[in-house]
Amino acid sequence: MRKFLGSLSLLAAFFALGLADPKPEILVFGAASLNESLTDLGKAHEAKTGTKVVFSFGASSDLARQIQAGAPADVFFSADTARMDVLEKAGLVRAGDRREFLSNSLVVVVAADSTLKVTAAGDLANLPKIALADPASVPAGIYAKKWLTGLGLWDKVEPKVVPTLDVRAALAAVESGAIPAAVVYRTDAAVAKSARISFAVTNGPEIVYSVAPVAASKSPKAAEAFVAFLAGPDGQAEFKRRGFVIRGSK
Amino acid sequence: MSDDLSILLLTLRVAAIATLLILPLGIFAAWHLARRRSPGRTLIETLLSLPLVLPPTAVGLLLLEALRKSGPIGRLLDQAGVEILFTWKAVVLATAVMSFPLLVRPVRTAFEEIDPRLIAMGRSLGSGPVAVFRRVALPLAWRGILAGTLLAFSRALGEFGATIMIAGSIPGRTQTMALAIFQRTHIGQDEGAMRLVGVTVVIAFAAVWTTEILTRRRAQRTSA
Repeated sequence: MRKFLGSLSLLAAFFALGLADPKPEILVFGAASLNESLTDLGKAHEAKTGTKVVFSFGASSDLARQIQAGAPADVFFSADTARMDVLEKAGLVRAGDRREFLSNSLVVVVAADSTLKVTAAGDLANLPKIALADPASVPAGIYAKKWLTGLGLWDKVEPKVVPTLDVRAALAAVESGAIPAAVVYRTDAAVAKSARISFAVTNGPEIVYSVAPVAASKSPKAAEAFVAFLAGPDGQAEFKRRGFVIRGSK
Repeated sequence: MSDDLSILLLTLRVAAIATLLILPLGIFAAWHLARRRSPGRTLIETLLSLPLVLPPTAVGLLLLEALRKSGPIGRLLDQAGVEILFTWKAVVLATAVMSFPLLVRPVRTAFEEIDPRLIAMGRSLGSGPVAVFRRVALPLAWRGILAGTLLAFSRALGEFGATIMIAGSIPGRTQTMALAIFQRTHIGQDEGAMRLVGVTVVIAFAAVWTTEILTRRRAQRTSA
Protein backbone atom coordinates (compact mmCIF):
# COMPACT_ATOMS: atom_id res chain seq x y z
CA MET A 1 0.00 0.00 0.00
CA ARG A 2 2.74 2.42 0.96
CA LYS A 3 4.62 1.57 -2.22
CA PHE A 4 1.45 2.19 -4.18
CA LEU A 5 0.94 5.62 -2.58
CA GLY A 6 4.61 6.40 -3.18
CA SER A 7 4.37 5.67 -6.87
CA LEU A 8 1.12 7.63 -7.04
CA SER A 9 2.76 10.75 -5.66
CA LEU A 10 5.67 10.30 -8.06
CA LEU A 11 3.15 10.10 -10.87
CA ALA A 12 1.44 13.26 -9.60
CA ALA A 13 4.76 15.10 -9.49
CA PHE A 14 5.49 14.02 -13.05
CA PHE A 15 2.13 15.23 -14.30
CA ALA A 16 2.44 18.53 -12.44
CA LEU A 17 5.88 19.11 -13.95
CA GLY A 18 4.52 18.48 -17.41
CA LEU A 19 2.00 21.25 -16.95
CA ALA A 20 4.50 23.95 -16.11
CA ASP A 21 4.91 26.49 -18.90
CA PRO A 22 8.05 25.59 -20.83
CA LYS A 23 8.65 28.90 -22.67
CA PRO A 24 7.37 32.47 -22.50
CA GLU A 25 4.17 32.97 -24.44
CA ILE A 26 1.21 35.30 -24.57
CA LEU A 27 -2.43 34.32 -24.56
CA VAL A 28 -4.70 36.27 -26.87
CA PHE A 29 -8.48 36.24 -26.44
CA GLY A 30 -9.90 36.90 -29.91
CA ALA A 31 -13.35 37.33 -31.41
CA ALA A 32 -14.41 34.17 -33.25
CA SER A 33 -14.41 36.00 -36.59
CA LEU A 34 -10.66 36.67 -36.25
CA ASN A 35 -9.72 32.98 -36.03
CA GLU A 36 -7.77 32.46 -39.28
CA SER A 37 -6.22 35.92 -39.58
CA LEU A 38 -4.99 36.04 -35.96
CA THR A 39 -3.69 32.47 -36.09
CA ASP A 40 -1.60 33.36 -39.16
CA LEU A 41 -0.42 36.62 -37.63
CA GLY A 42 0.49 34.81 -34.40
CA LYS A 43 2.79 32.50 -36.36
CA ALA A 44 4.34 35.43 -38.26
CA HIS A 45 4.90 37.29 -34.98
CA GLU A 46 6.52 34.26 -33.38
CA ALA A 47 8.87 33.84 -36.36
CA LYS A 48 9.82 37.51 -36.06
CA THR A 49 10.18 37.95 -32.30
CA GLY A 50 10.31 34.48 -30.74
CA THR A 51 7.25 35.19 -28.59
CA LYS A 52 4.88 32.26 -28.81
CA VAL A 53 1.31 33.42 -29.30
CA VAL A 54 -1.57 31.16 -28.27
CA PHE A 55 -5.24 31.91 -28.76
CA SER A 56 -8.65 31.34 -27.33
CA PHE A 57 -11.38 32.24 -29.80
CA GLY A 58 -15.03 32.74 -28.93
CA ALA A 59 -17.78 35.30 -28.59
CA SER A 60 -16.24 38.63 -27.53
CA SER A 61 -18.87 38.88 -24.79
CA ASP A 62 -17.86 35.49 -23.37
CA LEU A 63 -14.14 36.31 -23.53
CA ALA A 64 -14.72 39.69 -21.84
CA ARG A 65 -16.63 37.92 -19.07
CA GLN A 66 -13.72 35.52 -18.59
CA ILE A 67 -11.26 38.42 -18.35
CA GLN A 68 -13.52 40.06 -15.76
CA ALA A 69 -13.40 36.84 -13.75
CA GLY A 70 -9.60 36.92 -13.85
CA ALA A 71 -8.70 34.79 -16.87
CA PRO A 72 -4.94 35.07 -17.56
CA ALA A 73 -5.24 36.68 -21.02
CA ASP A 74 -2.53 39.07 -22.25
CA VAL A 75 -4.39 40.65 -25.16
CA PHE A 76 -8.11 41.08 -25.87
CA PHE A 77 -9.39 41.57 -29.43
CA SER A 78 -13.12 42.31 -29.39
CA ALA A 79 -15.51 42.45 -32.33
CA ASP A 80 -17.10 45.57 -30.90
CA THR A 81 -16.19 48.56 -28.74
CA ALA A 82 -18.89 47.98 -26.12
CA ARG A 83 -17.19 44.88 -24.62
CA MET A 84 -13.87 46.78 -24.54
CA ASP A 85 -15.52 49.82 -22.93
CA VAL A 86 -16.75 47.62 -20.09
CA LEU A 87 -13.25 46.26 -19.48
CA GLU A 88 -11.68 49.70 -19.80
CA LYS A 89 -14.09 51.15 -17.25
CA ALA A 90 -13.13 48.37 -14.85
CA GLY A 91 -9.44 49.12 -15.40
CA LEU A 92 -8.85 45.66 -16.85
CA VAL A 93 -7.26 46.75 -20.15
CA ARG A 94 -4.59 49.36 -20.89
CA ALA A 95 -6.63 52.20 -22.35
CA GLY A 96 -3.59 54.03 -23.72
CA ASP A 97 -2.68 51.10 -25.98
CA ARG A 98 -6.21 50.41 -27.18
CA ARG A 99 -6.60 50.43 -30.99
CA GLU A 100 -9.58 50.42 -33.28
CA PHE A 101 -8.32 50.04 -36.84
CA LEU A 102 -10.41 47.11 -38.05
CA SER A 103 -13.86 46.94 -39.57
CA ASN A 104 -16.03 44.35 -41.28
CA SER A 105 -19.47 44.06 -42.85
CA LEU A 106 -22.46 41.77 -42.54
CA VAL A 107 -23.72 39.28 -45.12
CA VAL A 108 -26.56 36.77 -45.22
CA VAL A 109 -25.40 33.24 -45.98
CA VAL A 110 -27.29 30.13 -47.10
CA ALA A 111 -26.06 26.58 -47.68
CA ALA A 112 -23.98 26.27 -50.87
CA ASP A 113 -26.59 24.00 -52.48
CA SER A 114 -29.57 25.98 -51.20
CA THR A 115 -32.32 26.92 -53.66
CA LEU A 116 -33.75 29.57 -51.34
CA LYS A 117 -34.36 32.99 -52.81
CA VAL A 118 -33.13 35.27 -50.06
CA THR A 119 -32.08 38.49 -51.70
CA ALA A 120 -33.31 41.21 -49.37
CA ALA A 121 -33.77 41.76 -45.65
CA GLY A 122 -37.54 41.36 -46.03
CA ASP A 123 -37.08 37.75 -47.16
CA LEU A 124 -35.59 36.80 -43.77
CA ALA A 125 -38.98 37.13 -42.11
CA ASN A 126 -40.35 34.38 -44.40
CA LEU A 127 -37.74 31.80 -43.40
CA PRO A 128 -38.68 29.15 -40.82
CA LYS A 129 -35.44 29.75 -38.89
CA ILE A 130 -32.41 31.98 -39.00
CA ALA A 131 -29.14 31.55 -37.08
CA LEU A 132 -27.65 34.57 -35.33
CA ALA A 133 -24.86 34.83 -32.83
CA ASP A 134 -26.86 35.44 -29.63
CA PRO A 135 -28.24 38.97 -30.16
CA ALA A 136 -28.55 39.40 -26.40
CA SER A 137 -24.78 39.53 -25.92
CA VAL A 138 -22.58 38.54 -28.88
CA PRO A 139 -21.39 41.43 -31.12
CA ALA A 140 -22.25 39.78 -34.48
CA GLY A 141 -25.81 39.19 -33.26
CA ILE A 142 -26.08 42.67 -31.79
CA TYR A 143 -24.98 44.21 -35.13
CA ALA A 144 -27.52 42.06 -37.01
CA LYS A 145 -30.28 43.03 -34.60
CA LYS A 146 -29.38 46.71 -34.97
CA TRP A 147 -29.53 46.40 -38.76
CA LEU A 148 -32.93 44.67 -38.76
CA THR A 149 -34.33 46.98 -36.10
CA GLY A 150 -33.35 49.95 -38.26
CA LEU A 151 -35.38 48.46 -41.10
CA GLY A 152 -38.34 47.84 -38.82
CA LEU A 153 -38.03 44.08 -39.41
CA TRP A 154 -36.72 42.87 -36.05
CA ASP A 155 -40.15 42.09 -34.56
CA LYS A 156 -40.89 39.82 -37.52
CA VAL A 157 -37.50 38.12 -37.57
CA GLU A 158 -37.02 37.69 -33.82
CA PRO A 159 -39.34 34.66 -33.42
CA LYS A 160 -37.32 32.84 -36.11
CA VAL A 161 -33.94 33.45 -34.48
CA VAL A 162 -31.87 30.50 -33.31
CA PRO A 163 -29.22 32.12 -31.06
CA THR A 164 -25.76 30.55 -31.22
CA LEU A 165 -22.70 30.83 -28.96
CA ASP A 166 -20.70 32.87 -31.46
CA VAL A 167 -20.76 33.94 -35.09
CA ARG A 168 -18.89 30.84 -36.31
CA ALA A 169 -21.51 28.62 -34.73
CA ALA A 170 -24.19 30.47 -36.72
CA LEU A 171 -22.17 29.80 -39.88
CA ALA A 172 -21.68 26.13 -38.92
CA ALA A 173 -25.44 25.75 -38.38
CA VAL A 174 -26.01 26.80 -41.99
CA GLU A 175 -23.15 24.68 -43.31
CA SER A 176 -24.53 21.59 -41.60
CA GLY A 177 -27.90 22.20 -43.29
CA ALA A 178 -29.69 22.50 -39.94
CA ILE A 179 -30.68 26.16 -40.40
CA PRO A 180 -31.51 27.67 -43.82
CA ALA A 181 -29.77 31.04 -43.35
CA ALA A 182 -27.58 33.09 -41.01
CA VAL A 183 -26.27 36.63 -40.67
CA VAL A 184 -22.48 36.55 -40.33
CA TYR A 185 -19.49 38.74 -41.21
CA ARG A 186 -18.27 38.90 -44.79
CA THR A 187 -14.95 37.42 -43.61
CA ASP A 188 -16.73 34.40 -42.10
CA ALA A 189 -18.45 33.67 -45.42
CA ALA A 190 -15.00 33.84 -47.06
CA VAL A 191 -13.74 30.86 -45.02
CA ALA A 192 -16.98 28.85 -45.30
CA LYS A 193 -16.69 25.49 -46.99
CA SER A 194 -20.32 24.79 -47.81
CA ALA A 195 -22.14 28.09 -47.47
CA ARG A 196 -22.41 30.99 -49.89
CA ILE A 197 -23.31 34.65 -49.64
CA SER A 198 -26.94 35.16 -50.51
CA PHE A 199 -26.75 38.93 -50.29
CA ALA A 200 -24.53 41.53 -48.67
CA VAL A 201 -25.88 43.96 -46.09
CA THR A 202 -25.38 47.47 -47.47
CA ASN A 203 -26.89 49.74 -44.85
CA GLY A 204 -25.84 47.94 -41.67
CA PRO A 205 -24.41 49.52 -38.51
CA GLU A 206 -20.74 50.46 -38.43
CA ILE A 207 -18.67 47.53 -37.24
CA VAL A 208 -15.61 48.45 -35.17
CA TYR A 209 -13.20 45.93 -33.66
CA SER A 210 -11.17 46.91 -30.63
CA VAL A 211 -7.87 45.48 -29.39
CA ALA A 212 -5.89 46.25 -26.23
CA PRO A 213 -3.33 44.67 -23.90
CA VAL A 214 -4.86 43.29 -20.71
CA ALA A 215 -3.79 45.27 -17.64
CA ALA A 216 -3.02 42.20 -15.52
CA SER A 217 -0.76 40.65 -18.17
CA LYS A 218 2.45 39.19 -16.79
CA SER A 219 4.19 39.94 -20.11
CA PRO A 220 3.09 43.56 -20.70
CA LYS A 221 5.94 44.28 -23.17
CA ALA A 222 5.17 41.23 -25.29
CA ALA A 223 1.43 41.96 -25.21
CA GLU A 224 2.02 45.56 -26.30
CA ALA A 225 4.38 44.43 -29.07
CA PHE A 226 1.80 42.01 -30.47
CA VAL A 227 -0.93 44.68 -30.48
CA ALA A 228 1.46 47.02 -32.32
CA PHE A 229 2.28 44.24 -34.79
CA LEU A 230 -1.42 43.63 -35.51
CA ALA A 231 -2.07 47.33 -36.12
CA GLY A 232 1.15 47.71 -38.14
CA PRO A 233 1.65 47.14 -41.89
CA ASP A 234 2.04 43.32 -41.63
CA GLY A 235 -1.14 43.00 -39.61
CA GLN A 236 -3.16 45.30 -41.79
CA ALA A 237 -2.04 43.49 -44.96
CA GLU A 238 -3.15 40.13 -43.54
CA PHE A 239 -6.53 41.47 -42.39
CA LYS A 240 -7.10 43.08 -45.80
CA ARG A 241 -6.22 39.81 -47.52
CA ARG A 242 -8.92 38.11 -45.44
CA GLY A 243 -11.54 40.66 -46.46
CA PHE A 244 -11.54 42.97 -43.44
CA VAL A 245 -11.70 46.73 -43.89
CA ILE A 246 -9.00 48.96 -42.39
CA ARG A 247 -10.34 52.11 -40.75
CA GLY A 248 -8.43 55.36 -40.40
CA SER A 249 -6.50 54.61 -37.19
CA LYS A 250 -7.86 56.03 -33.96
CA MET B 1 -3.36 15.35 -35.15
CA SER B 2 -0.68 16.78 -32.86
CA ASP B 3 -3.47 18.93 -31.43
CA ASP B 4 -5.43 15.77 -30.67
CA LEU B 5 -2.48 14.31 -28.80
CA SER B 6 -1.88 17.41 -26.68
CA ILE B 7 -5.60 17.59 -25.86
CA LEU B 8 -5.49 13.93 -24.80
CA LEU B 9 -2.39 14.46 -22.66
CA LEU B 10 -3.85 17.55 -20.99
CA THR B 11 -7.07 15.65 -20.25
CA LEU B 12 -5.23 12.65 -18.79
CA ARG B 13 -3.02 14.92 -16.70
CA VAL B 14 -5.74 17.01 -15.13
CA ALA B 15 -7.92 13.93 -14.54
CA ALA B 16 -5.00 12.13 -12.87
CA ILE B 17 -4.10 15.10 -10.67
CA ALA B 18 -7.74 15.62 -9.68
CA THR B 19 -8.15 11.94 -8.80
CA LEU B 20 -4.95 11.87 -6.76
CA LEU B 21 -6.00 15.01 -4.90
CA ILE B 22 -9.37 13.65 -3.85
CA LEU B 23 -8.09 10.15 -3.10
CA PRO B 24 -6.89 10.71 0.50
CA LEU B 25 -9.84 12.99 1.27
CA GLY B 26 -12.32 10.56 -0.28
CA ILE B 27 -10.95 7.56 1.61
CA PHE B 28 -11.06 9.53 4.84
CA ALA B 29 -14.66 10.63 4.23
CA ALA B 30 -15.75 7.14 3.17
CA TRP B 31 -14.17 5.56 6.26
CA HIS B 32 -15.98 7.92 8.62
CA LEU B 33 -19.28 7.56 6.80
CA ALA B 34 -18.95 3.77 6.98
CA ARG B 35 -18.01 3.55 10.66
CA ARG B 36 -19.56 6.42 12.58
CA ARG B 37 -23.23 6.39 13.38
CA SER B 38 -23.40 10.09 14.18
CA PRO B 39 -26.70 11.96 13.73
CA GLY B 40 -25.28 14.33 11.10
CA ARG B 41 -24.23 11.44 8.89
CA THR B 42 -27.13 11.57 6.47
CA LEU B 43 -26.73 15.32 6.09
CA ILE B 44 -23.01 15.01 5.32
CA GLU B 45 -23.67 12.15 2.95
CA THR B 46 -26.28 14.19 1.10
CA LEU B 47 -24.01 17.23 0.89
CA LEU B 48 -21.14 15.14 -0.46
CA SER B 49 -23.41 13.61 -3.11
CA LEU B 50 -24.77 16.95 -4.34
CA PRO B 51 -22.31 17.31 -7.25
CA LEU B 52 -23.65 14.00 -8.54
CA VAL B 53 -27.20 15.29 -8.88
CA LEU B 54 -26.85 19.06 -9.34
CA PRO B 55 -26.46 20.37 -12.89
CA PRO B 56 -22.67 20.64 -13.39
CA THR B 57 -23.13 24.24 -14.56
CA ALA B 58 -24.71 25.05 -11.19
CA VAL B 59 -21.67 23.66 -9.38
CA GLY B 60 -19.51 25.62 -11.80
CA LEU B 61 -21.28 28.88 -11.06
CA LEU B 62 -20.99 28.33 -7.30
CA LEU B 63 -17.25 27.74 -7.70
CA LEU B 64 -16.94 30.78 -9.98
CA GLU B 65 -18.66 33.03 -7.46
CA ALA B 66 -16.50 31.72 -4.62
CA LEU B 67 -13.25 32.10 -6.57
CA ARG B 68 -13.75 35.36 -8.44
CA LYS B 69 -11.41 38.08 -7.26
CA SER B 70 -14.13 39.89 -5.33
CA GLY B 71 -15.40 36.62 -3.84
CA PRO B 72 -14.63 35.24 -0.37
CA ILE B 73 -12.01 32.66 -1.36
CA GLY B 74 -10.88 34.52 -4.47
CA ARG B 75 -9.69 37.50 -2.42
CA LEU B 76 -7.50 35.32 -0.22
CA LEU B 77 -6.06 33.48 -3.22
CA ASP B 78 -5.40 36.79 -4.97
CA GLN B 79 -3.49 38.08 -1.94
CA ALA B 80 -1.47 34.87 -1.91
CA GLY B 81 -0.75 35.35 -5.61
CA VAL B 82 -2.49 32.13 -6.61
CA GLU B 83 -4.29 32.15 -9.94
CA ILE B 84 -6.90 29.46 -10.40
CA LEU B 85 -9.77 30.64 -12.60
CA PHE B 86 -9.29 29.94 -16.32
CA THR B 87 -6.03 28.07 -15.76
CA TRP B 88 -5.44 24.30 -15.73
CA LYS B 89 -5.84 24.42 -11.95
CA ALA B 90 -9.47 25.39 -12.46
CA VAL B 91 -9.96 22.29 -14.61
CA VAL B 92 -8.46 20.18 -11.82
CA LEU B 93 -10.71 21.83 -9.25
CA ALA B 94 -13.90 21.43 -11.29
CA THR B 95 -13.21 17.78 -12.12
CA ALA B 96 -12.15 17.04 -8.53
CA VAL B 97 -15.39 18.42 -7.09
CA MET B 98 -17.53 16.63 -9.67
CA SER B 99 -15.72 13.29 -9.26
CA PHE B 100 -15.62 13.27 -5.47
CA PRO B 101 -18.98 11.52 -4.82
CA LEU B 102 -18.15 8.84 -7.36
CA LEU B 103 -15.01 8.03 -5.41
CA VAL B 104 -16.64 8.07 -1.98
CA ARG B 105 -19.60 5.80 -2.73
CA PRO B 106 -17.80 2.56 -3.77
CA VAL B 107 -15.09 3.08 -1.15
CA ARG B 108 -17.71 3.49 1.57
CA THR B 109 -19.44 0.30 0.44
CA ALA B 110 -16.11 -1.53 0.56
CA PHE B 111 -15.48 -0.33 4.12
CA GLU B 112 -19.00 -1.30 5.15
CA GLU B 113 -18.47 -4.82 3.82
CA ILE B 114 -15.59 -5.40 6.23
CA ASP B 115 -16.60 -7.65 9.10
CA PRO B 116 -16.67 -5.32 12.14
CA ARG B 117 -15.26 -8.19 14.25
CA LEU B 118 -12.00 -7.92 12.32
CA ILE B 119 -11.71 -4.28 13.30
CA ALA B 120 -12.60 -5.06 16.90
CA MET B 121 -10.04 -7.87 16.93
CA GLY B 122 -7.37 -5.53 15.69
CA ARG B 123 -8.22 -3.07 18.43
CA SER B 124 -8.24 -5.76 21.14
CA LEU B 125 -4.81 -6.92 20.00
CA GLY B 126 -3.50 -3.49 20.94
CA SER B 127 -3.50 -1.57 17.67
CA GLY B 128 -4.64 2.05 17.68
CA PRO B 129 -7.41 3.24 15.35
CA VAL B 130 -4.94 4.53 12.76
CA ALA B 131 -3.00 1.26 12.74
CA VAL B 132 -6.23 -0.75 12.40
CA PHE B 133 -7.30 1.45 9.53
CA ARG B 134 -3.98 0.98 7.78
CA ARG B 135 -3.31 -2.70 8.49
CA VAL B 136 -6.85 -4.10 8.43
CA ALA B 137 -9.34 -1.80 6.71
CA LEU B 138 -7.26 -0.50 3.80
CA PRO B 139 -5.99 -3.92 2.64
CA LEU B 140 -9.51 -5.41 2.85
CA ALA B 141 -11.19 -2.53 1.02
CA TRP B 142 -8.46 -2.48 -1.59
CA ARG B 143 -10.58 -3.39 -4.60
CA GLY B 144 -13.35 -0.98 -3.69
CA ILE B 145 -10.84 1.83 -3.43
CA LEU B 146 -9.39 0.98 -6.82
CA ALA B 147 -12.86 0.74 -8.38
CA GLY B 148 -13.82 4.12 -6.90
CA THR B 149 -10.58 5.63 -8.11
CA LEU B 150 -11.18 4.41 -11.66
CA LEU B 151 -14.76 5.62 -11.58
CA ALA B 152 -13.71 9.06 -10.34
CA PHE B 153 -10.94 9.18 -12.94
CA SER B 154 -13.37 8.33 -15.76
CA ARG B 155 -15.75 11.02 -14.58
CA ALA B 156 -12.86 13.49 -14.42
CA LEU B 157 -11.94 12.69 -18.03
CA GLY B 158 -15.37 13.72 -19.25
CA GLU B 159 -16.27 16.66 -17.00
CA PHE B 160 -17.75 19.51 -19.02
CA GLY B 161 -20.28 21.77 -17.34
CA ALA B 162 -18.39 22.90 -14.27
CA THR B 163 -15.13 23.08 -16.22
CA ILE B 164 -16.40 25.42 -18.93
CA MET B 165 -17.79 27.74 -16.25
CA ILE B 166 -14.56 28.20 -14.30
CA ALA B 167 -11.83 27.28 -16.79
CA GLY B 168 -13.26 28.28 -20.17
CA SER B 169 -12.12 26.36 -23.23
CA ILE B 170 -8.64 27.72 -23.93
CA PRO B 171 -6.77 25.53 -26.43
CA GLY B 172 -3.56 24.12 -24.99
CA ARG B 173 -4.35 25.37 -21.49
CA THR B 174 -7.78 24.38 -20.29
CA GLN B 175 -9.36 22.65 -23.29
CA THR B 176 -9.92 19.00 -22.39
CA MET B 177 -11.43 16.32 -24.64
CA ALA B 178 -15.02 17.08 -23.66
CA LEU B 179 -14.56 20.81 -24.27
CA ALA B 180 -12.71 20.27 -27.56
CA ILE B 181 -15.48 17.99 -28.85
CA PHE B 182 -18.02 20.71 -28.08
CA GLN B 183 -15.88 23.51 -29.53
CA ARG B 184 -15.09 21.62 -32.74
CA THR B 185 -18.69 20.62 -33.29
CA HIS B 186 -20.05 24.10 -32.85
CA ILE B 187 -17.60 25.62 -35.32
CA GLY B 188 -18.38 22.86 -37.83
CA GLN B 189 -15.24 20.70 -37.54
CA ASP B 190 -17.28 17.54 -37.13
CA GLU B 191 -14.50 15.23 -38.35
CA GLY B 192 -12.03 16.51 -35.78
CA ALA B 193 -14.69 16.17 -33.10
CA MET B 194 -15.41 12.57 -34.18
CA ARG B 195 -11.71 11.67 -33.90
CA LEU B 196 -11.75 12.83 -30.27
CA VAL B 197 -14.98 10.93 -29.65
CA GLY B 198 -13.24 7.78 -30.88
CA VAL B 199 -10.40 8.28 -28.42
CA THR B 200 -12.76 8.91 -25.50
CA VAL B 201 -14.75 5.74 -26.31
CA VAL B 202 -11.57 3.66 -26.14
CA ILE B 203 -10.50 5.20 -22.81
CA ALA B 204 -13.96 4.96 -21.25
CA PHE B 205 -14.30 1.35 -22.37
CA ALA B 206 -10.99 0.41 -20.80
CA ALA B 207 -11.82 2.19 -17.52
CA VAL B 208 -15.30 0.71 -17.13
CA TRP B 209 -14.08 -2.77 -18.17
CA THR B 210 -11.39 -2.68 -15.51
CA THR B 211 -13.87 -1.46 -12.88
CA GLU B 212 -16.28 -4.28 -13.81
CA ILE B 213 -13.59 -6.93 -13.50
CA LEU B 214 -12.47 -5.59 -10.14
CA THR B 215 -15.98 -5.44 -8.71
CA ARG B 216 -16.87 -8.91 -9.98
CA ARG B 217 -13.82 -10.48 -8.36
CA ARG B 218 -14.74 -8.85 -5.10
CA ALA B 219 -18.30 -10.16 -5.33
CA GLN B 220 -17.11 -13.71 -6.02
CA ARG B 221 -14.76 -13.61 -3.13
CA THR B 222 -17.44 -12.36 -0.74
CA SER B 223 -19.85 -15.11 -1.76
CA ALA B 224 -17.24 -17.85 -1.47
